[in-house]
Amino acid sequence: MAQRAVWLISREPGTPFCGTVRFSRRYPTVEKRAKVFNGASYVPIPEDGPFLKALLFELRLLDDEEDFIESRDSCSHINKTSVYGLLIGGGELWPVVAFLKNNMIYACVPLVEQTLSPHPPLISISGISQGFELLFGVQDFLSLSQKNDTELNTKLNQLPDLLLQACPFGTLLDANLQNSLDSINFASVTHSQKQPAWKVGTYKGKPQVSISITEKVKSMQYDKQDIADTWQVVGTVTCKCDLEGIMPNVTISLSLPTNGSPLQDILVHPCVTSLDSAILTSSSIDAMDDSAFSGPYKFPLTPPLESFNLCYYTSQVPVPPILGFYQMKEEEIQVKITVNLKLHESVKNNFEFCEAHIPFYNRGPITHVDYKVSFGQLEVFREKSSLVWIIGQKFPKSMEINLSGTVTFGAKSHEKQSFDEICIGGTAYLKLHFRILDYTLTGCYADQHSVQVFASGKPKISTRKL
Amino acid sequence: MGPLSRETWAQRLGAFRASPSAFMAGPEGEDLGRDLLSELRSEKLSEQTKVSLLALSLEYPAQLWPDATAAEAAATSLLDTLVLLPPRPSALRRPLLLAATTALVAGDALGPTSEASRRLLPLLLGLASGRDLGRGFGPASEQRPLQATACECLRELESCKPGLLGGCLGLLRGLLGQEGPVQPLSLLLALALRNTLVIRARARAGLQGLLMAGDTPSGGDPWNWALAEEGDARLQPQAPSWPAAEEECGLAVLEPTPEEARELRAAVAQLLDTSYLLTPVAQAQLLWLLGWALRGLRGQTPVLFKPQLVRLLGTAQLTLLHAVLALKAAFGEALFTAQDEALLLRRLTVAAQHPALPLPAHLFHLHCLLSFPENWPLGPTAEEATPLLLGPRLCRGLLPSLLHDPMALLARLHLLCLLCVEDEEKEEKGQDWSPRHYLEELLAGLRQRAALDGGPRASATLCFQASHLVVQCLATQPTVLTPLTHGLARLYRARPVLAPHFVDLLDRVGPELGEPLRVALRQEVVSGPGRDEALRWHLQILAEVADGNAQSATLGFLGAAAAHCTDWGLQQALLRVCRALLRAGVGGGLADLLQALARQWEDPDGRDHARLYYVLLAHLAGPKLGVALGPSPAAPALASSLVAENQGFAAVLMVQEAPAPIRLSVGPHRAAGPGPVLQLHVEVLEPAYSLELRFRVEGQVYAPLGAVHVPCLCPGRPCRPLLLPLQPRRPAPTRLDVRALYTTPTGLTCHAHLPPLPVNFADLFLPFPQAPEGDKLGFFEELWDSCLPKGAESRLWCPLGPQGLEALVSRHLEPFVVVAQPPTSYHVAIRLPPDSRLLLRLEAAQEDGVPVALRTDDWAVLPLAGDYLRGLSAAV
Repeated sequence: MAQRAVWLISREPGTPFCGTVRFSRRYPTVEKRAKVFNGASYVPIPEDGPFLKALLFELRLLDDEEDFIESRDSCSHINKTSVYGLLIGGGELWPVVAFLKNNMIYACVPLVEQTLSPHPPLISISGISQGFELLFGVQDFLSLSQKNDTELNTKLNQLPDLLLQACPFGTLLDANLQNSLDSINFASVTHSQKQPAWKVGTYKGKPQVSISITEKVKSMQYDKQDIADTWQVVGTVTCKCDLEGIMPNVTISLSLPTNGSPLQDILVHPCVTSLDSAILTSSSIDAMDDSAFSGPYKFPLTPPLESFNLCYYTSQVPVPPILGFYQMKEEEIQVKITVNLKLHESVKNNFEFCEAHIPFYNRGPITHVDYKVSFGQLEVFREKSSLVWIIGQKFPKSMEINLSGTVTFGAKSHEKQSFDEICIGGTAYLKLHFRILDYTLTGCYADQHSVQVFASGKPKISTRKL
Repeated sequence: MGPLSRETWAQRLGAFRASPSAFMAGPEGEDLGRDLLSELRSEKLSEQTKVSLLALSLEYPAQLWPDATAAEAAATSLLDTLVLLPPRPSALRRPLLLAATTALVAGDALGPTSEASRRLLPLLLGLASGRDLGRGFGPASEQRPLQATACECLRELESCKPGLLGGCLGLLRGLLGQEGPVQPLSLLLALALRNTLVIRARARAGLQGLLMAGDTPSGGDPWNWALAEEGDARLQPQAPSWPAAEEECGLAVLEPTPEEARELRAAVAQLLDTSYLLTPVAQAQLLWLLGWALRGLRGQTPVLFKPQLVRLLGTAQLTLLHAVLALKAAFGEALFTAQDEALLLRRLTVAAQHPALPLPAHLFHLHCLLSFPENWPLGPTAEEATPLLLGPRLCRGLLPSLLHDPMALLARLHLLCLLCVEDEEKEEKGQDWSPRHYLEELLAGLRQRAALDGGPRASATLCFQASHLVVQCLATQPTVLTPLTHGLARLYRARPVLAPHFVDLLDRVGPELGEPLRVALRQEVVSGPGRDEALRWHLQILAEVADGNAQSATLGFLGAAAAHCTDWGLQQALLRVCRALLRAGVGGGLADLLQALARQWEDPDGRDHARLYYVLLAHLAGPKLGVALGPSPAAPALASSLVAENQGFAAVLMVQEAPAPIRLSVGPHRAAGPGPVLQLHVEVLEPAYSLELRFRVEGQVYAPLGAVHVPCLCPGRPCRPLLLPLQPRRPAPTRLDVRALYTTPTGLTCHAHLPPLPVNFADLFLPFPQAPEGDKLGFFEELWDSCLPKGAESRLWCPLGPQGLEALVSRHLEPFVVVAQPPTSYHVAIRLPPDSRLLLRLEAAQEDGVPVALRTDDWAVLPLAGDYLRGLSAAV
């Protein structure tokens, strides 16, 4: 379950190597074991340079996409997971766990405690999931409140010390690197009782529990006979429990109004100590019916110090919040567009913002737009070939708005416009971005009575819906 | 070298990290390890710099201290540095412990005889036990982190030397029960427990009270070097992590006594009860370890795990779900009922598509679904398959779509293919949803995307990968393959630039798709005009698909294309097609084409090749031609087709010197006919065709011998004896030098030198023509008398073996006996070609020998005859 090495590589298209190794860490004692376990199939961990090159090649991130290269483009070279084999120095380095996120490539090589030829199934290698967890942990740490390059560099500079703490010998002790950072600072605290490893200290101060629920709706509307429209709500419940004592017990309940949409596919934080089987089995796979479990959803837990995601869920609301209609007609260098949007009456008509993005792919820059909107205003981004319809805070009383117009394009310049494989010819889309404060589509809520705390002091409880 | 500043060190470390091997090969490389150790004690450097030095030693000990002696010295120095630290808080203690441990393990210095090991181990155990080690080991505030670090160091040592802590199990249990840090102690105890159980089971030994809580065993070290070295317990692929692997390794089974079993259960329960105090990743490690530990134990029910499962199944943690799957694989039905299995599958299905989880997690969960350790798997466990309880309904959310990332699409496509297989097996039941139909639409979409002019290579690659995956899974379903073939042919028509992908696909799929696709692509190419910009792609495809079929269309296309092949590359591409046709045995029309090319083209290389192919076609028979054009067996494939090609020709057109796979021996003597004839027996070790044996007589005592031809020889198949007529110029024995020329099954002509064949004096013996009946004695006497005076006479004693004279004569001289009075007297007349005679009188035989009177008309024969007669008794 140990890792032989870890890398962070920033992707830099256009530079000679197309990337730079920003961080790497090797574990020689694990390497020692790998050599014995893997026997004749052992391939040593390469130096950073060759690794960078081989990984970028395998991930298709080098700028040499032009030619057919068998070792990468062959039809039998099928990758179905984020685990790769890299050809390095005549051998195959496997398994390399790697993924790209926000222009940073996260990679590690887990130890496999057996021979590598033939490759054992990934499911049988404990180091694979540990490797993923390590990389997710690093990713979370880097992306947490990261705004610019300087902050990224600061965090990258902290990584060696953090991994010395969280993964001293290649076996991961805690994927939450922020915890390790805190534990360096908390070192002076003396512990008398059993202290959870995921909680580096204790809270001192006014007790307080805050819960916030965020729901996102993902909807695709085709308005076509043969393709079903989809809309799914994904919810995240975030908590911060500032409570005294080492192991305070808390129970948080989520409730639905009578006509609320049941929560499904619930995944909880590991600090939840037990789960009702109704919560465990409620799933979007099943056909919906009235007998579906509709709460309250109780989560008994012992909270960590930091803010955490208590649970994620999905839900199938009966109708999409906004029903859209988008039509595009191509006429030589012009396209005619018509957009209708209708807010469903059950949805709270009070937006923080609401805007419709209308991109045009595989065309030149916009040279001219003739348009008519019934509501809001239209912004034109000529170079980006896109329109943004700013609807604002409220739909009008009719709940229905529309836009029609003609867009003219200039000549296509190949360098700037990126190629889109889907939006070709008459295929196009409009994307709606909006946020409604203090409202959930499912109706899911937590209030003062939803939280039971078994600890000293009466906590202040604040809940909000985003 | 004097003390270095912080900046110098930063530079030096930077240079080292950029390329350790280059740095170590450079002038500073040698001193780095030594400098690093001495600088750790320097008072000028900040702690932060020292930590970065230690970090380097944690990563590259093998480069800094390459052998065991250096590693031992380094570990000693690191421990000294640790002891010498002032008693105030310091950031160096933890990394120093880690570095000393790493140096010992990585340098292979860990062992009972190593002084540093003998210092480090008690120190670690002391720290881990929370004992007060004196002021040198820092203020009280540092004790807790140091205790945890010591546990980690011990865990690493135990990982690398399994069994080392076998004697500390009781001590560790005690510590865990008290106030020790839960996570490091739990993980250390679980690992030591697992290792001890595995080693004990292999040694077929009991636990011997190792688990009893208490202090270290009385009397000396708790280190179990013996256990660590026991049998094959040293680090070997001993921890089969999955049941399939376990069967191969033959995991031994330990049968603990009831008391031991109780202790073991208590220890495991103790670990599991506090497991919620561990971080999720550590919980997962604990479960894997305990799963391994208990699997080999007979009579231990895994129900201890049960209370943990529901909690684990609810989380979004990849590691926890993975650990549950490991328990599932380890214990199967003993821990998971069919309902539990169904629930686990549901959770996996949810996790494989949950929008809150990242793509890599989705993909891994999907992999777990297809490799799911079922209680009662139907198929072979090594193959990916859909679990029985995972019905089409559960999979609805896992169907691929064009909007998916390529990896997700392929993973989901695989699932879809497996559903199609099941669907086919169940036959059509009038379902409203057909996975096959869905599959076809998806593939069509992929092809459409790949067909886009100017689209990225990746989308073409994805389309072909998907096609390959489908063929792999559904090779037996024509309903899938037929539309796939047509679709791919249309894709080629739309975008010939994808030819390399098509060639690659054809190379990798079986005949189910390969055959129809070849036909379709050939049709697609030859029906075109053969003069557009896609010509080079067309030629590439044709070189792959051209065979004996549709000859005239193919040749017609090539004829039309030839005029447009103006550059070297295109000409070579066209010639490659010609080669393919040559290999396929296409004759007449091709010869015309090649002649035309040899005349028409201006480029001398193309012209020469065309002419060469024409010459080959005209002069070589089919199989030989195939070999001439095939890849050269002599050398690995070279980048240059010309070089490879020339080697191919050279190999075929030249005779190869080879070790002989042929064995030749002389059979029994045949005394008949006008001249002496050698009977040869031939055996071969591998098939040989058109064998020609050539003989040369040493010393030219015989006339030159003709070659012997054998059309075909196979190992194990007897061959009639070969007759080799000899024409002696003198009646003398000699040796024949033998060479063999033959063709191998691969078509190469080989030449081999065989060991020389001896021709003995007796091999030349021939009988006289039949003497007149009734007067044999007179005939003999006449011959006897005619020898002198020109010839020679001799008498000698021929020793007899136990069988006596009669046996000797019948064995060796029977054909030449003229007058016989068994058992005592024989008159023998031998003709020796070319025109000599040898006459023997064997009379009045005694018990141990017979006097022989001999006469010959050729005095040179006399010594040979003497040797022959004296050797007879030995040959009996």
